Amino acid sequence: MAADMLTVGLSGAKVARGALEITANNIANASTEGYVRRSAVASEVSASSIAMRPGDISLSGARISAIHRNADMFRQAEVRRTSSDSARAAAELNGLENIESAVEGARVYDLLVDFEASLSELAADPTDPSLRAAVMSAASNMAGSFRIANDSLDAAAKGLQFEADGEVEELNVMTGELARINLRIGRTAEGTSERATLLDQRDGLLEKLSNKVDLQTTFNAIGQVEVRAGGASGELIVQGGSTFALGTTTAADGTLTFDVGGTAVALNGGSLAGKALGLQAIADTRSSLDTLANDIMSTVNTAQGNGAALDGSGGQPLFAGTGAGDMRLAFTNGDGLATAPSGSAAGSTDASNLVALRSAFENNGHAQGVSNLVFSVSAQVAGKKVTSEALDAISSSARIALEQQSGVDLDQEAANLVRFQQAFQASSRVMQVASDIFDTLLGIR
Amino acid sequence: MVTVSTSAFYERANRQISSLRKESEKLQEQVGSRERLSRSSDDPLAAAKLRSLSRRERMTEIDQRNSDRAKTSLSLADSALSSVTSSIIRARDLALQAGSSTLTLENQKAIATELEVLRDNLLGLANTRDGEGESLFGGAIAGPAYVETAGVVSYVGNASAQVTGLGDGQSVERSVTGPDVFSFNGPSGATDIFAVLGAFSAALNVGGAGVAAAADAALASLDPALEKATTAQTVVGTRMAWVETMDDRRVASEEMIAQERETVGGADFAITYARLQEMMTVLEASQASFVKLSGLSLFDQLR
Repeated sequence: MAADMLTVGLSGAKVARGALEITANNIANASTEGYVRRSAVASEVSASSIAMRPGDISLSGARISAIHRNADMFRQAEVRRTSSDSARAAAELNGLENIESAVEGARVYDLLVDFEASLSELAADPTDPSLRAAVMSAASNMAGSFRIANDSLDAAAKGLQFEADGEVEELNVMTGELARINLRIGRTAEGTSERATLLDQRDGLLEKLSNKVDLQTTFNAIGQVEVRAGGASGELIVQGGSTFALGTTTAADGTLTFDVGGTAVALNGGSLAGKALGLQAIADTRSSLDTLANDIMSTVNTAQGNGAALDGSGGQPLFAGTGAGDMRLAFTNGDGLATAPSGSAAGSTDASNLVALRSAFENNGHAQGVSNLVFSVSAQVAGKKVTSEALDAISSSARIALEQQSGVDLDQEAANLVRFQQAFQASSRVMQVASDIFDTLLGIR
Repeated sequence: MVTVSTSAFYERANRQISSLRKESEKLQEQVGSRERLSRSSDDPLAAAKLRSLSRRERMTEIDQRNSDRAKTSLSLADSALSSVTSSIIRARDLALQAGSSTLTLENQKAIATELEVLRDNLLGLANTRDGEGESLFGGAIAGPAYVETAGVVSYVGNASAQVTGLGDGQSVERSVTGPDVFSFNGPSGATDIFAVLGAFSAALNVGGAGVAAAADAALASLDPALEKATTAQTVVGTRMAWVETMDDRRVASEEMIAQERETVGGADFAITYARLQEMMTVLEASQASFVKLSGLSLFDQLR
């Protein structure tokens, strides 16, 4: 059979029209997140030549054989890996910043110095009731600041735990969706626009998952994915159409651990790993704060025990409590402050026990201890800020690299629009020529 | 083929402009607050330094208040001691008068009365209270330093004067004790001014031949008494000078602290403002170029 020029022209027009539609779709999705630029793959349709007549023309035009999705697996994997790291660093930094504002915002250091200052001032006139009252209120403020710091740390920990629980739930919902997408991918044919859409959704979910945990992904030939949480040695969370739920356990000190079906998983990336690190830092800070509070209480209470109150009786402990969380005054009357050495008469203006307390405070370095705690937290914040910024820059350049490769370029699409429009017009022209030829044949008389 | 995808272009522009904005907001905050650090993590080391500086500043403030207290006590002691020395000088004049043989018994009795008043005044001065209402010459006791029982005045205070810390490990005794002022070694051993004046006025009241001898004895005792009181006054004077020296040192160290604080934590206005201006220029330029570039679409050219 000879070539049917009209059919060839029609197939060309169809291909051009299909390409125009894909271009239009690309333009429409130019800012859709996770959309990968599509292109039409056209191929020639040719019938095999008839036996014994190899010289015959046997052309049948063109068709769109597949819709190509311009995804780059390597760049996508890079985006997932780097965004895992950057999400971890950002979540950890966020936790540390909470710690910093808890410790700094409670003004533990300032109020501790105020307490020291009030002791110094009382030493100049140990029987003055207003100076004694000033020491009591400074002591109460200092105890209060420890409690506030502790409560703020608690609140920060609660917030992180709550967020982590929410994220784990979200993650388990996403793995369920991913498993369903795996099943649907199996039911679609290669090169269809439906497959392309499913692959877009698959990649979008994988990217969101990688923000939460570090992933190890394995793709099969048709694009179904197998996902492990916690990197290559981690546990499977999606395999074909089935999922395995990620679980969390909160320890007594507030730290988080993760498991899949009872098997512990160590997460190294993603915001969940960052939150676990943040909670660990909170637990560490809280125990340092407790140690500081206990040391201060023991210094003051020991000195109280060595001295005599204003009425000459033996000094009683000034602070009660077992840590920063419940540090409080054991008595509120300033007359109970043991400024004079043990055995002094009532109303003694001898301040030597108070001076001993001042120097014990100085020698035990309590103010320095609190300052060091603030320093270590803020130094961690400063360090992690640098890390987080670096990881964020890496992750965003990986994302830009991916988008450059797989995103829609409107200028290019505009050019395609013109090109395929011209192709369409040319094919129409072919049909016009075929029709003219036919008319010519009919016109023979 | 390297394509520049539209979303990549917007994403990059977005990141650049927002990072410039963040930077300039930070500079703006520094210009506004004149502080380089808004939280410790901006510069942990400088923040730790600032904390210890603010602690020193706070402690210096208390030292200054304590030093002011000590100065008040010392000047009270100084004026009390001036009264003490003038009383002793008056007593010495009276002793000289009493030694003259031309006095009648009436005159002697009048002198005795004045001596008794002087003795009471001295006892009152010995029990002077300081600015806080504590005994000035009694050391660390709550009540008066001297008590009089059956005509005998005795010291009930502590052996040493109260000490006030002045910071930097330095301290000052903020007065002297009673015995430092009123007790001394007379011709016949240790005694005090109250006993001397008491014995002399008693002799004058009796009159007769004993008066001349008593006046001689009193004169012999009043000289060391005067010497003791003026010595005490000198001691108080040197202590005041010490407090003032420490005050000067404190002012110098406060200046140093303020300067260091400025160096460590202050934002240099000129530099910060210049950087802010630079940042704004860059920000404006990138905003303008962003608008130009984003308006550059092939679609506009196709008709």
